Amino acid sequence: MIAWGAPIWIYLWMAGMAGGAYFAAFLAERFAGIVDRRLLRLATYIGIPLAVVGVLLLVVDLGNPIRFWHLFTQFKVISPMSMGTWILLAWVGIAIILAILWWVENFLTEDVARSLRRTTERLSWVNLVFAVLLIAYTGVLLSVSNQPLWASTALLPSLFVASAVSTGVAMLVLAATAANTVSKGNLIELRMALDQLFGSKDWTIPSRTVARLAEADVILIIVEMVVLIGYAIWLAVSSMAGAGEALRLLTTGVLAAPFWVGVVLLALLIPLGLDIANWGKEIETKTVRRAIITSSTCVVLGGLILRAVIVIGGQL
Amino acid sequence: MPKARLIDVSKCMACRACQVACKQWNELPAERTTQRGTYENPPELSGRTWIKVEFRERPGEWLFRAHTCMHCTDASCQKVCPTGAISHQGEVVMIDQKWCIGCGYCVQACPFNVPHKDEETGTARKCRFCIDRITNGLAPACATTCPPGAIRFGEREDLLVTARQRVQALKANGSPNATLYGEYEMGGLHTLYVLTDRPSVFGLPEAPQLATTTVWAQWLSGAIAAGVIAVLPFWLLFRRRKQIEAERESRVEGGTR
Repeated sequence: MIAWGAPIWIYLWMAGMAGGAYFAAFLAERFAGIVDRRLLRLATYIGIPLAVVGVLLLVVDLGNPIRFWHLFTQFKVISPMSMGTWILLAWVGIAIILAILWWVENFLTEDVARSLRRTTERLSWVNLVFAVLLIAYTGVLLSVSNQPLWASTALLPSLFVASAVSTGVAMLVLAATAANTVSKGNLIELRMALDQLFGSKDWTIPSRTVARLAEADVILIIVEMVVLIGYAIWLAVSSMAGAGEALRLLTTGVLAAPFWVGVVLLALLIPLGLDIANWGKEIETKTVRRAIITSSTCVVLGGLILRAVIVIGGQL
Repeated sequence: MPKARLIDVSKCMACRACQVACKQWNELPAERTTQRGTYENPPELSGRTWIKVEFRERPGEWLFRAHTCMHCTDASCQKVCPTGAISHQGEVVMIDQKWCIGCGYCVQACPFNVPHKDEETGTARKCRFCIDRITNGLAPACATTCPPGAIRFGEREDLLVTARQRVQALKANGSPNATLYGEYEMGGLHTLYVLTDRPSVFGLPEAPQLATTTVWAQWLSGAIAAGVIAVLPFWLLFRRRKQIEAERESRVEGGTR
């Protein structure tokens, strides 16, 4: 019997993407020394709705949705779902506070804004920690169980973290492309709203940053492939009863089609090929931009199929 | 002294009186099932079927085992339950029906596939060890009704002595692999089995694991992956960009000088 259906795998995908995009944007800007936090704001603004919709799916999927608040009566370190409840609350809560603080900056004088910015910076660091916990938790939730596909190895959290950051980066690329299109279009109201959100008339993501993100996804996909291979080998050699059968379910069993086409091709090989073909090329050209959009879409959809295959496969 | 239930599969005749008695005492509705070519019915435990005789056939022999909650000392369901709805009441593992939110985590965590979500109540449900009976000096309904005495209820220590003797007798009489199941599994089960063959033959895990055993390793796995990814690609690619820009700037400065 399948106790965890579509709402669960869609939620794991959305929460992973939200945390992954935040993690990616934060680190990219930190390491590059960019101070205007444009990418981090973009990640936060996509992440909040993703996480909130995901949580709503979860609550609706409960047997007794109106009792969801019982979750907040416990702080059970040993139960990943209890920890996940608090991690989600913290991440979404801080993300919303960040969004409000960034918006409030619009109305302050430069001196006051500067001191506020210091607080915002510190808070964004705290949320980096919660983003890591959030993306890790989506894997830990499944692996702390007695389903062989989930619990036989210690690599499911790694796999989900790699996929979360990969889909998060792909989502950033898509959102950046969309934002840049809006900036050139004639949707004046939307542009004005974005001016407010980003606190500046210039909120487009430089094409060099987008190109670098696409390159980052190449490495992320490779990391994800290595983890996936390790996960498969671990399942194959695991002494836990049912681990081998669980692996065969993916490779040759009923889930073989979604696994090979949806995960291996769509999430990994196709975007890898497209991104490698365009490595280092000028993103301004139409064909390159189209290829990057295609590969990012594949990564995002493939990430969903990965969650579906793992969540369903564990319960068969 | 903790109580327990001993299920001796060598005595079970698959009459399924335990299933009926359980349904009656706990006022559980019947299930609509389809003919699957076997008397084994319903196909699996559910939110409204808390004990069920499993049928296994091998040449010249039927193997029957009543499948129900083990009432583990170290219970995976209780450990993972995010609302604290699952607790130990003495030896009994109970799901508080007024507190359970129906998240289904216990369903995934149980090594014996016992708790199930019930569509009607929206909660996870399973055997309650007839807690209302045993706290009033009665045996659980299944043990009370069992015609061949395959399910017995009593002091755990006494039942273990009985079970060991029974296993010795079975070993001497054509079941060399006979074994006692539940003495140490999951910190000690409160449903003990006398099995005529290895546990896996009866669909029982040989080495059941507490779902939360690896919880810290799993968190570590996620953290390590995040650490690796922070360096590769982010530090590698974006730090390079900073350097390139710094170089470019210094070149421009050099040019103006």
